[in-house]
Amino acid sequence: MRDSNGNAKVRWFWIWVIASLIFRLILLYFPESVNLSSRPEVSTPLTSIRRLAEGYWLKQSSLSPYAGSMYHGSPLLLTLLGPLTVRRIEGQPDHLLCSLVLVIADVVTAMLIRAAGQSLKMSSTSSLKSIGLHHLLEYSASLLLSEHLPSGDIAALVYLWNPFTIAACVGLSTSAIENLMIVLSLYGGCTRQAPVAAFGWVMATHLSLYPAILIIPVVLLFGYGPDAPPRKLLRQRTKTDSSSSIDKGSVEKDVKNQLRGLNFFSWKPVLHVLFWILLWSSYVLVLCGIYARRHGSLEELFKRTYGFILTIPDLSPNIGVLWYFFAEVFDFFRNFFLIVFHGNVLLMIVPLALRLNHRPCFLAFVYTVITCMLKSYPSVGDSALYLGLLGLFAYELSDMKFSFFLFSGYVGVSLLSPVMHNLWIWRGTGNANFYFATAIAYACLQLVLVVESVSAMLNHDRMLTKLSAAKLQDVKP
Amino acid sequence: MRFLIFSLLRLPIGVLMLLLLCLGNIGNSVAHLSSSSESTLHTNNWAVLVCTSRFWFNYRHMANTLSLYRTVKRLGIPDERIILMLADDMACNARNKYPAQVFNNENHKLNLYGDNVEVDYRGYEVTVENFLRVLTGRHEAAVPRSKRLLSDEGSHVLLYMTGHGGDEFLKFQDSEELQSHDLADAVKQMKEKRRFKELLIMVDTCQASTLFSQLHSPGVLAMGSSMKGENSYSHHLDPDVGVSVVDRFTYYTLAFFEKLNMYDNASLSSLFNSFNPNLLMSTAYHRMDLYQRSLEEVPVTNFFGSVMETLHTDSAYSSHRSIDVGEAKIKICTDQPISGSDRRILRNMNNKDQENSRHSFGQLWNSILSKSTTPENVDAFVCHSLLLMLPLLVVSTWLSR
Repeated sequence: MRDSNGNAKVRWFWIWVIASLIFRLILLYFPESVNLSSRPEVSTPLTSIRRLAEGYWLKQSSLSPYAGSMYHGSPLLLTLLGPLTVRRIEGQPDHLLCSLVLVIADVVTAMLIRAAGQSLKMSSTSSLKSIGLHHLLEYSASLLLSEHLPSGDIAALVYLWNPFTIAACVGLSTSAIENLMIVLSLYGGCTRQAPVAAFGWVMATHLSLYPAILIIPVVLLFGYGPDAPPRKLLRQRTKTDSSSSIDKGSVEKDVKNQLRGLNFFSWKPVLHVLFWILLWSSYVLVLCGIYARRHGSLEELFKRTYGFILTIPDLSPNIGVLWYFFAEVFDFFRNFFLIVFHGNVLLMIVPLALRLNHRPCFLAFVYTVITCMLKSYPSVGDSALYLGLLGLFAYELSDMKFSFFLFSGYVGVSLLSPVMHNLWIWRGTGNANFYFATAIAYACLQLVLVVESVSAMLNHDRMLTKLSAAKLQDVKP
Repeated sequence: MRFLIFSLLRLPIGVLMLLLLCLGNIGNSVAHLSSSSESTLHTNNWAVLVCTSRFWFNYRHMANTLSLYRTVKRLGIPDERIILMLADDMACNARNKYPAQVFNNENHKLNLYGDNVEVDYRGYEVTVENFLRVLTGRHEAAVPRSKRLLSDEGSHVLLYMTGHGGDEFLKFQDSEELQSHDLADAVKQMKEKRRFKELLIMVDTCQASTLFSQLHSPGVLAMGSSMKGENSYSHHLDPDVGVSVVDRFTYYTLAFFEKLNMYDNASLSSLFNSFNPNLLMSTAYHRMDLYQRSLEEVPVTNFFGSVMETLHTDSAYSSHRSIDVGEAKIKICTDQPISGSDRRILRNMNNKDQENSRHSFGQLWNSILSKSTTPENVDAFVCHSLLLMLPLLVVSTWLSR
């Protein structure tokens, strides 16, 4: 009975995946009426496909693709996607091949999220069993249907059917590829495959600078392993196990070994992944160097790509908050405020890492929300990523407060933001404050999401601690 | 330790020799370039056509500029080397009885605003600041290439300005003015930055000659429609359109050019002598003290058209490399159709090159290097290496299990 149910659920999952694929393909055939690639929420100076096409055209005319401040992305992306922007098929919409690449990237990302979710679930099951709380799994099963739909599947479906993801895909934003790389690195970390994780991290950092802070979750994933309850619970368990003199057989020995493994930070896998990071980054640097030799130097390349991200010269409106501020700040203070804003992101890294080091995947999720909130040119493709990753923790965060408020807030912002943009730019009856108000509301929603999800996760850990302590007291005489 | 010192001593001497060689080369080339502009080849022609007047009753200034645009295009300068600045839109003005049409004669024989008019600066973009930026090349990073004057040291530039002017100024958009010393300063900057080989300034306004009275740069020729204290007049009123449609100076300039085609070699002196003060009702004054060549030997197509001299050479072709790698290389363009004999000459040169390379091993190695670093090969290499990353990833994952 359960098997057939399971099979039915798996079948339904694949049906939904294929339906989202078909939906995207249908939307791709109406580019003018949908016209998402000209929305500032979807395409930023870093992710717009038109700028990529312009950069490719400049390159084909033997100029540097960074001439004239249009294209600011990676030259490797230009080499891959550039020829696809030019190739046209009779009777099909423009940029069809690029959109197909992005659709494939979306589907692969969803599959990787599902695989990461599966490995997370396996590790959480085993860690819960090791602290003796495996009854919790049946408890959650009866109430939260975890047996029926694993969190990986939920996350994959959320990612595929999220309107933000669909908008980013149909609007031809290259953030789909960045998301793929980030999820690839997380998948590699969860399944302990060092080359995959290193590749994903190196490519994600190369494409847009901000995923560099994901090195910490990746290192933690390789050092400690995937998400687990707080380590003091495991330590208590080993202490009680070692103190009790009853030998319960080989099964307990396995659990003990597992506990011992989860306690320590193992350096060998970390060094392994750092070695692979070095390999992949030198490979990418050599390719960029070969590329850059023809069009100026490597420093100029970095100045135009990473320098553009860090110094924010382009102040066209987007769904972030930095453009409005930097349009007003005096030149004298510009560098100071740039340091402040980028430092804001850097400041949050260490405290969160200290607090959440037993849950590296959740830490990666929090980092993606923070970078999406505070990065220089955010778009809805970035929020597509963290909303998908949120699904991975659907069961731990099931008690999150304000979830309905957040949901309606997101819906409201995504509806109002184009309206305010239209009022400001096209009709002239509004001004920049209208549009910036929706941007502030969006940032506030992300802030509430971060705070509430972290507190919900910490509450979940506290609950586990309490239950484990209760269990220990039961065991102890 | 001594070996180290010796090798270290040898290094600076070697470095010094290299430096001297480089300096010698640079000095040579600098001396070569900083000599008179006659040593650089005339390679391309540019035209900057500016109409500075706004409002419907200044229709004739628009028609002036568009007529000259049409002439310059007809004689061979392509749109990508013309910067056309029109301060207002007459063709689609609400008061235009003939929508999308601009005439310069009351017989309405010629519609100047056809399908292939490419206006680079329109409406409120025509300001003194933008004009000076176009001339000096000091643009912001995001200004597109079609709005830039991308001339180099082999360019002949035609600068035509029309509108309302006065003693030492030209009025822009009825709100600001370009003064003669600003123009002279811009031309001086252009000369410093080697943005032209020769420059012809034609001004059709009242008291036009005063506008270029402050010029000092060599290689500049200037022509104005009237002298100080004189007005320039319109030619005739079109009763149908309702306004004057052309100015006298431009009308007679066009009358001169309508008789020409691309291959005529009428000289500049014949152009300047064709102006009759009685017909113009003003004195057309041209200033040639800054221009070294004699006006009889300069064909008008040096500025108003784009006809290049083909140089026959029997020796192997050596490409000119500019010192700064980032700038565009000098292109020698031939607008004349290449005759059959020229093609044969080119083919012979290619054969000779191939024979030479087969003989010496060094040249063979050079040809291999040059083939491997061609743009297409580099791109293909980068693309293949990128795609190679995926199988590498799969293999490395499988190996490290």
